[in-house]
Amino acid sequence: MANYPTTSGSRENTFDAIVIGSGISGGWAAKELCEHGLKTLVLERGRDVQHLKDYPTALKNPWDLPHRGKLPHTIARENPIVKRCYAFDETTAHFFVKDGEHPYVQEKPFDWIRGYQVGGKSLIWARQTQRWSRFDFEGPARDGFGEWPISYEDLAPWYTHVERFVGISGNRDGVETLPDGEFLPAWEMNDVEKHLSGKIRGAYADRFVVQGRCAHLTAPQAIHLEQGRGQCQARNLCYRGCPFGGYFSSNSGTLPWAARTGNLTMRPHAVVAAILHDPGSGRASGVRVIDAQTQETKEFFARVIFVNAACLNTNLILLNSQSARFPTGLGNDHDLLGRYVAFHNYRGSLAGQMEGFADSYYSGRRPTQAMMPNFRNVRKQEMDFQRGYMVFFGASRASWTQGNHLPGAGAAFKERLTRPGPWGVTMMMQGETVPRRENHVRLAADRRDAWGIPQLVTSIGYHENDEKMIQDFLEQGEAMLSAAGVKKITKTDDRRAPGLDIHEMGGVRMGADPKKSLLNRWNQLHTCPNVFVTDGACMASTGTQNPSLTFMALAARAANYAVAEMKKGTL
Amino acid sequence: MNERMSRREALRRAGLWAGAAGVWASLPKRTWAALPAPEGWSPGEERLLTIIGDTLLPATAGSPGAGAVEIGRFIAMMASTCSPPETVSLIQSGLREIEALSRAEFARGFIDLAAAQRETLLINYEKKGASLAPAKGPHPLRPIKQWAVLGYFTSEPGATQALRYDPIPGGYRGTVPLAPGDRTWAT
Repeated sequence: MANYPTTSGSRENTFDAIVIGSGISGGWAAKELCEHGLKTLVLERGRDVQHLKDYPTALKNPWDLPHRGKLPHTIARENPIVKRCYAFDETTAHFFVKDGEHPYVQEKPFDWIRGYQVGGKSLIWARQTQRWSRFDFEGPARDGFGEWPISYEDLAPWYTHVERFVGISGNRDGVETLPDGEFLPAWEMNDVEKHLSGKIRGAYADRFVVQGRCAHLTAPQAIHLEQGRGQCQARNLCYRGCPFGGYFSSNSGTLPWAARTGNLTMRPHAVVAAILHDPGSGRASGVRVIDAQTQETKEFFARVIFVNAACLNTNLILLNSQSARFPTGLGNDHDLLGRYVAFHNYRGSLAGQMEGFADSYYSGRRPTQAMMPNFRNVRKQEMDFQRGYMVFFGASRASWTQGNHLPGAGAAFKERLTRPGPWGVTMMMQGETVPRRENHVRLAADRRDAWGIPQLVTSIGYHENDEKMIQDFLEQGEAMLSAAGVKKITKTDDRRAPGLDIHEMGGVRMGADPKKSLLNRWNQLHTCPNVFVTDGACMASTGTQNPSLTFMALAARAANYAVAEMKKGTL
Repeated sequence: MNERMSRREALRRAGLWAGAAGVWASLPKRTWAALPAPEGWSPGEERLLTIIGDTLLPATAGSPGAGAVEIGRFIAMMASTCSPPETVSLIQSGLREIEALSRAEFARGFIDLAAAQRETLLINYEKKGASLAPAKGPHPLRPIKQWAVLGYFTSEPGATQALRYDPIPGGYRGTVPLAPGDRTWAT
């Protein structure tokens, strides 16, 4: 199958750089490339979404919503996959891909949650932003399942660079497993969370309950005001798009910043079918695009190409970029492309009740919660499973929704629902999964999507290691909550499929050795160096942190490297 | 006395002295005006649901009852659109049962009972369990309560008068003393 350019590169179709995808990492690639003067084309497969203008539900009151936010049964029935996503409801459904729009083949159950629009999933992310620690970068080599070609020190300045622009709230906690960053003031804990934090710190020397770090402007700085963004108003309606720009998205931050350089060309409705490989130069020459509305095929050309289509679609594009030189996908000389996909294990959670604190309440709706960095296998292997997990904590008082299960009727019943109820405590895990060769995606041999592109087969599952980790979390969670005085503790393994974490990573992993990896330490394909992959697909392991901050830092670092190399004439 | 106060007063009087038929007669005709009458529900069923909703969540000092937000239409609509398909027949069997209990005990239909009688009947019905409904599965009152509670506390009077609603808090405070009488946040 020939994948050479079939049309000569006309001037209007030629750019200095192409970025495939406008989500959280593509936005950063675009911003950095445009700021350094590169004429940059951003290709987005979905529709345009303009900051402020295209957030139709952002200012709706509960009573303005026909179903009060609930999902009509017809939509739920037609969308058995995306309906499982906690953020998919009447107010946000327009930012999620519906199941029928882009089918895929689940060889093993995998809930693939996607956002096809300008801004991608940066509109609907959970906005939790923790740096990786050196333990996360060093872990795969120590445990013998992989390697990172970069260290924490390589990425630290780029974390700083990204954090300043994005705006991250947090405390400087001084915990080695959770490096501090450039922080705006942290959100407060409520009284029960403070109690939990104190009791757990008192009972365990190595377990630190700290406030979550998140991409919300608690005290906007000049750089944020210059973006047109303002103070987070603590509404916690973020998944609708923020009318204040209180949280960071590509739409509110990087893309308008790139646009005002005059170097950005944004092209929505552009489904990238393949990256074109030029056998003469041994480099990628451009991309083939199918217009989602007209089905027309177009080609665009550039000196460098950044692939930021989100983890699995980045894998899909590279797998479908087949040429004489790369018959099984761009950069794939060893059948590694699409393999070693991993994710975050969210299956375990606990809930309980805290007695007392009856005269304490809170005001506002905080967009983060308390968390505890990983404490398992940190300095050496010590458990009967590999790696570890982060824990999220939350405490709140029962509200009127108690009425769903409380008995009663009449004025006393109503009165009870109008007063804050007992304190509930919740806890959930975010576990690292080990990338494994058998956990992979590939092209379907016999099924194509609406644009004639092969569908993706997902073959990604849990491992015994994950089961052991869940058991350990549930035991430790119960012990920690008990130590803090929490009663009526229930433990849950919801046995959800992978994917619902929306933290899928890998398939195009970085590594020092071209025989064992696809990308080098600058996120370039070893065998096609003008192609960079800087989204979740590049990850050699998953860590226990919410990954977007690391994707952004990697994208900014790689983009600056590409610019420097182009200026030197070496790229 | 403003319009809202006079309506509330009317509801209170209706509930205490005139029986629930008066509640129905005094309802504003606008709350769910945007909603078409859901298919598969008779006006009588919708009306009965409103009276049940208003019995579950009646007018109290400072806030109207669920009847004031035409809760019957909301319950019927949510049962038809946002619930498993069997919910509609489950609720309708509950309505027949409630009506039968009322006639057996008081020789009158449910909406003609005094407020205290309606309340007692629903509390007993909830405790006793349903005899007409399928043996397995939820009690018919459960989805009725679920949608009544949602519909009322997310309505404008429910959120802003029965509860406290702050669309733009501006910030978060982790320690706020709770004074006697302080209400829960609507969202």
